[in-house]
Amino acid sequence: MKKLLAVLTVVLFLAACTPAKAKEVTIKFLNYSSNGGQEATLTAMVDAFEVANPLIKVEVETLGYADYFTQLATRVAGGQAPDVFELNIENFRAYADKGAIAELDLSKFDISKIQPTTLKAFQIGTKQYGLPTKFSNVVLIYNKDLFDQAGVAYPTSSWTWAEELAAAQKIRALGTDIYGVFRPIQTWEFYKTVVQNGGSMMNADQSAFTLNSAQNVEALEIMIARINTTNVTPTTEQLGGMGDWDLFKSGRLGMIVTGIWAFNDFATNCDFAWDIAVEPGIKNHATHFFSDAVVVSKDSKVIAAATAFAAFLSGSPEAALLRANANWDLPVALTDEVIAAFKAVVPPANKQAVFDSLNYLVMPPSLEKFGAVADDLQIYLSKAIAGELTAKEALDQAQALISGKY
Amino acid sequence: MKIMENKARFYIMLFLVPSILGFIVFSLIPMISALYLSFTNWDVIGGAPDIIGFKNFIDIFKSVEFYRVMTNTMKFISLYIPGILVSSLLLALMFNRTMKSVAAFRVLLFIPVLTSWIAGSIIWKSILSGQYGMLNNLLAIVGIHGPAWLTDPKWAMISIVMVSIWKDLGFFSLIIFGGLRSIDRTLYEAAKIDGANAFQILRKITIPLVTPTLFFVLVTTIINSFQLFPQIMVMTAGGPMGATQVMVERIYTYGFRYFEMGYASALAIVLLIIIVTVTLIQMVLQKKWVFYE
Amino acid sequence: MNKNLKLKDGSVFFVLAGLTIVSLVPFLWMISTSFKGAGALMSIPIEWIPKEVTFASYVKIFTKLPFMKSLFNSILVSVSSTLLTIFSASLAAFVFAKFDFKYKNLLFTLFLASMMIPIQVTGIPIFIILMKFGLINSYVGVILPTIFNVFGIFLLRQYMKNISNDFIEAAFMDGASFFQVYWKVIIPMSIVPITTLLVVNFMNYWNDYFWPLIILTDPNKMTLPVLLSKLNTQYTTEVNTLMAGSLVSMIPILVVYAFAQKYFIRGIQEGGIK
Repeated sequence: MKKLLAVLTVVLFLAACTPAKAKEVTIKFLNYSSNGGQEATLTAMVDAFEVANPLIKVEVETLGYADYFTQLATRVAGGQAPDVFELNIENFRAYADKGAIAELDLSKFDISKIQPTTLKAFQIGTKQYGLPTKFSNVVLIYNKDLFDQAGVAYPTSSWTWAEELAAAQKIRALGTDIYGVFRPIQTWEFYKTVVQNGGSMMNADQSAFTLNSAQNVEALEIMIARINTTNVTPTTEQLGGMGDWDLFKSGRLGMIVTGIWAFNDFATNCDFAWDIAVEPGIKNHATHFFSDAVVVSKDSKVIAAATAFAAFLSGSPEAALLRANANWDLPVALTDEVIAAFKAVVPPANKQAVFDSLNYLVMPPSLEKFGAVADDLQIYLSKAIAGELTAKEALDQAQALISGKY
Repeated sequence: MKIMENKARFYIMLFLVPSILGFIVFSLIPMISALYLSFTNWDVIGGAPDIIGFKNFIDIFKSVEFYRVMTNTMKFISLYIPGILVSSLLLALMFNRTMKSVAAFRVLLFIPVLTSWIAGSIIWKSILSGQYGMLNNLLAIVGIHGPAWLTDPKWAMISIVMVSIWKDLGFFSLIIFGGLRSIDRTLYEAAKIDGANAFQILRKITIPLVTPTLFFVLVTTIINSFQLFPQIMVMTAGGPMGATQVMVERIYTYGFRYFEMGYASALAIVLLIIIVTVTLIQMVLQKKWVFYE
Repeated sequence: MNKNLKLKDGSVFFVLAGLTIVSLVPFLWMISTSFKGAGALMSIPIEWIPKEVTFASYVKIFTKLPFMKSLFNSILVSVSSTLLTIFSASLAAFVFAKFDFKYKNLLFTLFLASMMIPIQVTGIPIFIILMKFGLINSYVGVILPTIFNVFGIFLLRQYMKNISNDFIEAAFMDGASFFQVYWKVIIPMSIVPITTLLVVNFMNYWNDYFWPLIILTDPNKMTLPVLLSKLNTQYTTEVNTLMAGSLVSMIPILVVYAFAQKYFIRGIQEGGIK
């Protein structure tokens, strides 16, 4: 027994004396946005990070978008969350509210170059829970050839829905299957459009829904009239299951309000001239904003290393430039170099509109259950388009259901 | 059967061990977890769940949505079950003929079954799209103006039924065909000698003897109907206007999109009770029509 | 009589041929789509046959994606799962079909009930159980849950019920052991449903992607459906590549089916069922 103790003591002593070599840590990173074409760019970013941080190794796992969130939720529930993972703005709120992700200590990192709206989008109160990596907004994309044929002047950043409609009607008149403008009618479009009309989905402190306010009803009426009255926007039947992008690419749509992520696709697949402008508003400008962020799991055992990696992907000029050169959305670290690289890729020629639009970004109500609210509201919006309900009836009923439920 | 009762008891247990173990670990425990979760407000990604009693169940029965979902499911069942039963039985009877080419048809008609639901649904979504889809282009040739199959609330569920029958027909006809093949051929010869005509043989011999298989098909298709999921997710995602919202689609949406796993579990328990009830009724009724040798 | 029968065969042929064409149209559309370039997918009027046939999608799946590795993983997982399922289900089905024991009906009803809870709800508890066993990121974690297959038990039971008791009693009289009766009498006589089960399970496991997606986190262990699901990117779905991949991944199941189908008929002729 004594002998055994002696041996143990020696072993422990030896173990304690081994020089404290700085330990190499490995972090796991789960993402969806590099899938389908940007894997190499992400690898380049990881390589750059590992060179700068030789003691941190990053294991990347990339999943398809369709199942990413199911997968992620299962792993988080099973206590197997990756150290760093990607979240879109819709899911960020839920993960933060439910305490699945860590508040980030960014004191050691340079986040000064990050575009402020995107940084703010991933805060709860004043606490930073996620770091944006890339973002995109929405602009008006127009078919120059159709504008020329109809003899209408090109859109400018001072346009409102009135000028947009006038142009759309002239383009619509060019042919039975040529349409003027496309803006979908769904919740995600609705919250923005009501802001353009001076309304909003919720009151200022977000304590109550104001779905059926006079401004909102008016905005919905304007949206629906474009389909059912002037028909400058095709009905679902006329669209016939064809995607809005496909309609534009086929050269039969004058204007489309959509995300800047369409640029790559349109540049390759449109055989006509096109350009962009700031999205027209009804009374005010307001435009969408989407962003993807990286977050750190609260269960991670290597939070410091994980945070360093997240900060690198988000705020570092190296990662931003790699992203800009690969045409992978807009990096959030908007250095002059990055802006120049982004503008260098044409069409569209008027890329300044993308940056001008940053002044008008609106965000959906910051509501944990916004996804469920959106789905419920969608049903009433569809009923209004189908003519089963008037805009007022639809919003009254939606207001009654949604304020009772959430 | 009562052979060597005591010895048999040991082997019965032994033979059941793999399934019972699998059942306990991969079914019973998860089912009990689901039952427990149905009384909680578990949000999947957050911390430990709180017990909230029957709130989830009360919410379910008070919601408009639940009745819409049930109506949708009933609509599916009332079209799909007769459709698949009759068509697979007819197809199986054709498969059962002593015709050379029949083997080739059996392989070819099985191809939809082999296609994954994901690929199959994506293809059908494009075929069924209103104005530019293949189906409406074909109908236009014969002068029919086809509806917007997946975006018109009146047609969406019918389209789902159509696609489901397309996918399942090869499978269930094969199962019934298997049942037909196991019928003793001497019975047919005896009936022919007795001068029975083809219809009489069908009614008095074929149909009764294939009832165990038909029972199997009925139980399975009804369970499948309540669990309708991948085709809905890809083709309509529950729309238009909730016309194709069904139970499993709701369970998925609540559990993984809204992070309300407690509510989703309660929905699953309600679904379980419904299916068990329906299946038990079928088990009782089978004595009236299913014929075991 | 003879003439009559021939005429009927003719009309049956006609019906079957018509039905086959209708069933295969979507499949032909898949093939056509897989040979289209990205631009031709949504062209108006629709291109029934691609104007420009391109093999780009097929080239992509074999060169840009780890297709062969995933193919191997899929074969490994599907074959093992299928064998495990058939083994455990046939044992249980034999007992349920031919013997009475206490709580038999209760047990069978419980089994059936378990078929009715959707994976969307039991998924997370099963994931946690597998995690406790240390089976995350292992093939065993995907294969093991297939040991319990109610569908298989139910299907085999329905057939085995119709096997005459005389065969079993005779075998026991000859001094056969319990296991010998199962292996030498029941299994050969159940070749038809077992082949059906083989095809169905192989196909289900081949196409399944919920489990492999969640359990196998190492990209080297990815199965085919998981690989194909990656063709859904954030903004677009590469439909043509997806179709090419789905078609190629169907070939193994078609082979299994074509083989099983032959064996299936032979099993009927050679087995005890006349």
